[in-house]
Amino acid sequence: MTDTYLRIQGLTKRFGASVAVRDVDLDVRQGELVVLLGPSGCGKTTTLRMIAGFVEASEGRILLEGQDYAGLPPYRREMGMVFQSYALFPHMTVAQNVTFGLRMRKLPRPEIEARLAETLDMVKLSTMAERYPRQLSGGQQQRVALARALAIRPKVLLLDEPLSNLDANLRQQVAREIRALQRAAGLTALMVTHDQDEAMMMADRLVVMSDGLVQQVGTQEELYERPANTFVARFIGHSNLIRGMLEGGERLVIPGATIGLAGHYDSSGDCTLAIRPERARICAPDDPAARITAKVEDATYVGAHVEVLLVLPDSTRVILHDPTDGGAARRFAPGDLAGIAWDLASERLFDDAGAPLAARSPVHA
Amino acid sequence: MASMATAERIGKAAAAPRVAHARVSVAGVLVWALIVTGILAMAVPLVMTAYISFFRDAVVVFPPSGYSSSWYTRIMEFPRFGDALGTSLRIAAMATLGSLALGIPASLALVRYRFIGRGVLNVLLLSPLTVPGVVIGLSVYVAVVETEIATEFPLIGSDIVLVLAHLLITVPWVVRLCVANLVGLDRSIEEAAANLGARPWSVLWRVTLPMMRQGIVAAALFAFIVSFENIEMTLFLIAPGQTTLPISILQYLEYKVDPLVAAVVMVQTLVIASLLLLLDRYVKLSRIV
Ligand SMILES: Nc1ncnc2c1ncn2[C@@H]1O[C@H](COP(=O)(O)OP(=O)(O)OP(=O)(O)O)[C@@H](O)[C@H]1O
Ligand SMILES: [Mg+2]
Repeated sequence: MTDTYLRIQGLTKRFGASVAVRDVDLDVRQGELVVLLGPSGCGKTTTLRMIAGFVEASEGRILLEGQDYAGLPPYRREMGMVFQSYALFPHMTVAQNVTFGLRMRKLPRPEIEARLAETLDMVKLSTMAERYPRQLSGGQQQRVALARALAIRPKVLLLDEPLSNLDANLRQQVAREIRALQRAAGLTALMVTHDQDEAMMMADRLVVMSDGLVQQVGTQEELYERPANTFVARFIGHSNLIRGMLEGGERLVIPGATIGLAGHYDSSGDCTLAIRPERARICAPDDPAARITAKVEDATYVGAHVEVLLVLPDSTRVILHDPTDGGAARRFAPGDLAGIAWDLASERLFDDAGAPLAARSPVHA
Repeated sequence: MASMATAERIGKAAAAPRVAHARVSVAGVLVWALIVTGILAMAVPLVMTAYISFFRDAVVVFPPSGYSSSWYTRIMEFPRFGDALGTSLRIAAMATLGSLALGIPASLALVRYRFIGRGVLNVLLLSPLTVPGVVIGLSVYVAVVETEIATEFPLIGSDIVLVLAHLLITVPWVVRLCVANLVGLDRSIEEAAANLGARPWSVLWRVTLPMMRQGIVAAALFAFIVSFENIEMTLFLIAPGQTTLPISILQYLEYKVDPLVAAVVMVQTLVIASLLLLLDRYVKLSRIV
């Protein structure tokens, strides 16, 4: 990548004997919003705090515009951070909060006034300038926190779970607002979240982390269509994971049954098949398209689709999303046998180590 | 007197939750009887003192021949009233400032940093709270006298010795109140300040200390009261002609009881009571004592 703006190399953080972040590499382009996504405790916040300079890295480098940031104190990093708790100054008004960074930079007064007006306007808080944080709603406080970070025109905007303290209705709206502001200002931003929808909605690219390790970096589509391993397959969207033995390159043998795969794989041994609920369909058990038969355990109409819960002969549970209009699910009652069908494009097979296997079209079509 | 007022407040605070679900039961009646007795036991001496201070006669007899408020206008007739009150206020003010100057940095260090000897410092700073004042007073007295003998420099009765001694009991209170305050502060607020470009001193000055304001005000008031009302320790360290108000009251009472001393006690009580009222706006006393 030629136009890397923020480069993270081999970033590692150890707390005593435990490793919170392991060897993270990441390149962020100017104006890009990259989201760090992963389950609780996977090291997202720690990564962000190392970039902000609150935590010293055990190993690795952080380069911004080619300059090594090692040892640079937080107050000289020019990175605007939005904290999960907002961390507003309780003894200062909205205006004082927003201008704090500008006053620290000793900008001339007219400049401070101008930027205050501009920033408050951006987050639609112009009428609240003289209020104290405790006099604001959660959503308004969140916008003050954002305005305060934007006012210093940071080189990188860092957001740690900025939406997690908002109620569900507000979350989507604020997510869009943040995204619009970041785009309009051409800001480079790094955001942390454990909420997949939020991440998918806002990111240019995502970094999926687990256990301190980067599992995959890519766009929404790349992560969804070509997950790098079973963790990503399960974490992004949802995937049904079925473990078995690959035989003859196109049969997955599970206890009590054999699945006829859609593709042909040049491999053998223990494998995991990943099938997305919305990419497979339910059919009659004797339908030639059925790749395996399973027992219907439950079918729930949830509006957008019918959620069907099936049990495979090895008692693995599989969830399918069957279309509400024209779907077959309603023809099945709990206890019935049903077939599950999918095509090559929806089939993902991972080897024993969790790495994806390439599929060829079957030899006998 | 101040400790009585304090105790009374605590008594009330402790009683308050019981009011909410008071039920008629033997235990309930007993508890209430105890509370009422306790409050009476604390209030009666104060009410009596106030009552006596309005007797007309110089000799206390019941019933009095009449009432007057003239003792309050004649308060300057109390031996060296002005001097003693002045000394008390001066010492208390200096002890307050001194204990803030020592206690605030100590609290910051205790809460924010892990360093060798932190545990020891913690114990040292809080231990005077557990040692009886008389014991501290005696040990300070011995130390001061030894120093006087060694240096041939008169120290007993000097402001500096009184202030230093009072610091022993005021600093622990300041540390206790400030630490409680600091522990409750969200660390990320200070990080936000640093993130926005504030250097460590700016963070301290513009964010940490202002956020500690409540704790600091409470600590100052508390230190002032503790110093102002102290008798046990001060008793060892005063010299003829250099005495604090509580001690001159004590000395006066050794010879006689009259409405004048009652009036003086009421003045002292009023000073402390108003400080306590002010303090109560900042901290719930029952939580820290
Ligand atoms: N100061 C610290 N000392 C010791 N361990 C720490 C410290 N900070 C974080 N950790 C550990 O490092 C790991 C990663 O923590 P981190 O806060 O980065 O997780 P996270 O991905 O942000 O999780 P969450 O989604 O819950 O916020 C955790 O196991 C945590 O316990
Ligand atoms: Mg976190």
